[in-house]
Amino acid sequence: MITLSSLTKQFGDATAVDAIDLEIADGEFFSMLGPSGCGKTTTLRMIAGFEEPTSGRIELAGEDVTWTSPRRRNVNMVFQNYALFPHMNVRENVEFGLRIKKLGKAEAKERIERMVAAVRMEGFEDRHPAQLSGGQQQRVALARALVNQPAALLLDEPLGALDLKLRKEMQLELKSIQQQTGTTFVYVTHDQEEALTMSDRVAVMNGGKVEQAADPRTLYQRPDSAFVADFIGTSNLMTIPTGQRAGEDIRIALPAASPNGEVTITVRPEKIKVVASEPADGSYARGTVLENVYLGSMTQLIVEIRSGERLIVHQLNDEDGREPLAPGAAVILAWSAEHSYVIPEKGPQ
Amino acid sequence: MGIPTTPQITVTGERPSRLSRLLKPFAFMSLPTAVLAVLFLIPMGILVYFSFQYGDLTGQSGFTLSNFTDTLTDPLYREIALATFEIATIAMVAQLIVGIPLAYVLAYKAGRFELPLLLALVLADELNPMVRIYAWRMLLGREGLINDALTSLGLINAPIDALLFNKFSVIVVLSTSYLTYTVIPIYASMKAVDSGLFEAAKDMGAGWFTTFRRVLLPLIAPGIFIALLLVYVPLFTDFAAPSLVGGTSGIMLGNVVADMVLQNGNLNMGAAMSFLMLLAAALFSLLAYQLSRVKGGAK
Ligand SMILES: Nc1ncnc2c1ncn2[C@@H]1O[C@H](COP(=O)(O)OP(=O)(O)O)[C@@H](O)[C@H]1O
Ligand SMILES: [Mg+2]
Repeated sequence: MITLSSLTKQFGDATAVDAIDLEIADGEFFSMLGPSGCGKTTTLRMIAGFEEPTSGRIELAGEDVTWTSPRRRNVNMVFQNYALFPHMNVRENVEFGLRIKKLGKAEAKERIERMVAAVRMEGFEDRHPAQLSGGQQQRVALARALVNQPAALLLDEPLGALDLKLRKEMQLELKSIQQQTGTTFVYVTHDQEEALTMSDRVAVMNGGKVEQAADPRTLYQRPDSAFVADFIGTSNLMTIPTGQRAGEDIRIALPAASPNGEVTITVRPEKIKVVASEPADGSYARGTVLENVYLGSMTQLIVEIRSGERLIVHQLNDEDGREPLAPGAAVILAWSAEHSYVIPEKGPQ
Repeated sequence: MGIPTTPQITVTGERPSRLSRLLKPFAFMSLPTAVLAVLFLIPMGILVYFSFQYGDLTGQSGFTLSNFTDTLTDPLYREIALATFEIATIAMVAQLIVGIPLAYVLAYKAGRFELPLLLALVLADELNPMVRIYAWRMLLGREGLINDALTSLGLINAPIDALLFNKFSVIVVLSTSYLTYTVIPIYASMKAVDSGLFEAAKDMGAGWFTTFRRVLLPLIAPGIFIALLLVYVPLFTDFAAPSLVGGTSGIMLGNVVADMVLQNGNLNMGAAMSFLMLLAAALFSLLAYQLSRVKGGAK
């Protein structure tokens, strides 16, 4: 288990990481997700030991390693540019850590073979990094780190340099290697889709703070903040004054036990339906279609409602011959009360 | 401003003839080859010619091997050759011991001081060699700065004589004279090495020495090889430093050759000695090249 307690890092006056608390369980695929500059790399480098925290604590398996050298931490890092040793071939690269640990010849050989096979690089053992493609170098970097059997593997945007197709393939492969080895993965990315598809849990970061750490489903359905709602998937954020809860052109029904007064809600685009008449219960809003975009499996509508806000609506293209709604068409949008998710007031944590 | 162009052999639209295609690469090489011939091969030829000649006071001259046999069999020369080898090697090793960390600091740690430090290193080399050597004499001499400082601090009672006019002072002067040429090629090869590799090594548990030996050293081996070529050969043949600070024990082969030509007027013997030194230097270069290939791994 990795435990970060009020971990803080300042560079001069700037706070890169601001009092982060996190617990990462053994065997978990844990991602840190956030826009560029939010402190993901700095956090990862503090866990690895390459950056000293300004304050706070880092524990690995219950042991305080805040001031332990990276050499003596049982974690390994996969660097964004791979950092493979250019003068060593694949086998020598993978062997590097084991030679330092002075592992017996036979065991080292067996471990290397198993690892090279796990990343599907058999037959490439004698090649140098310059003779490998980006994806292959990535696999070697993975093998070189995992062969040390670390308690956790730290990966800093490891797929950042690959093209989209290779990225998708490697995502699946990384996930399967993680499951095979049962190693804890701490994975840094700015790509929300990548984080959601691969991770058991995701910490969404913003401005050096963790906004929310939860499983992908919770992040999507019950975001803790407007930032998370906006960053994860597409969302319709609306600030609802008390009066709008029952109006002429709009009626917002909130789930039971919602706070009184002004609230911010988010409604996911696929929860909103285009209906023929105002529903008896739930929320609705009258508006005009501004735009329709054909996206293959679905059509995205942008609808301006009477209060002036623009809502995004996703309609599944599951019926043949349905005419798309043309710009200018008047529509009524409806969604049920429980799909108006009220974003919790952000109090001091 | 006309840039001289080579005359065009091909006629537009026609495939160049087989012959001209064959000759083209050599055309590019002809100028450097000519320069090399004039600057290197002709003097070399003269040197080799003289080394196989004898001439005595009666005006007789002709072919002989005695210049070589005399040089190689004289125990005094053998002793000086050994001393030269010792001085040059120690000076080279000392420069590598100081130069590699210096290059490392320049390449990875100096930050915004990188360029000023580099300039300082180059300017230090621009100092006139005579001025530099005399400066060292003022530092190391009986009444020099070092002895003065040590005496006034009460650390010693009498000035140390062992600082000047011996092998030690020759090594000190030679090491400092050539340091720039040792550091620059090593620095240049380090600039091409991603410092992220050191973090990767550390991440896998390597200490600084293992990282140096197994990651940095193999990658900068070509730079070290250039430094050896650039510095060891002139170190081996230097005669200014030993003649000014070497005294009687710090004599090197360069002095012997200079004396043979300038004092004894025996150009033939001097040529033979020079030729032998060149041979030794060539052998050494080959050895260094082989070593750098082993270290760097056959790429
Ligand atoms: N070595 C450093 N010196 C000064 N500022 C830094 C350093 N490293 C990172 N920062 C700053 O800290 C903040 C967080 O950076 P980083 O952790 O790299 O973000 P991310 O990986 O999420 O893009 C950024 O504002 C960045 O400019
Ligand atoms: Mg980053």
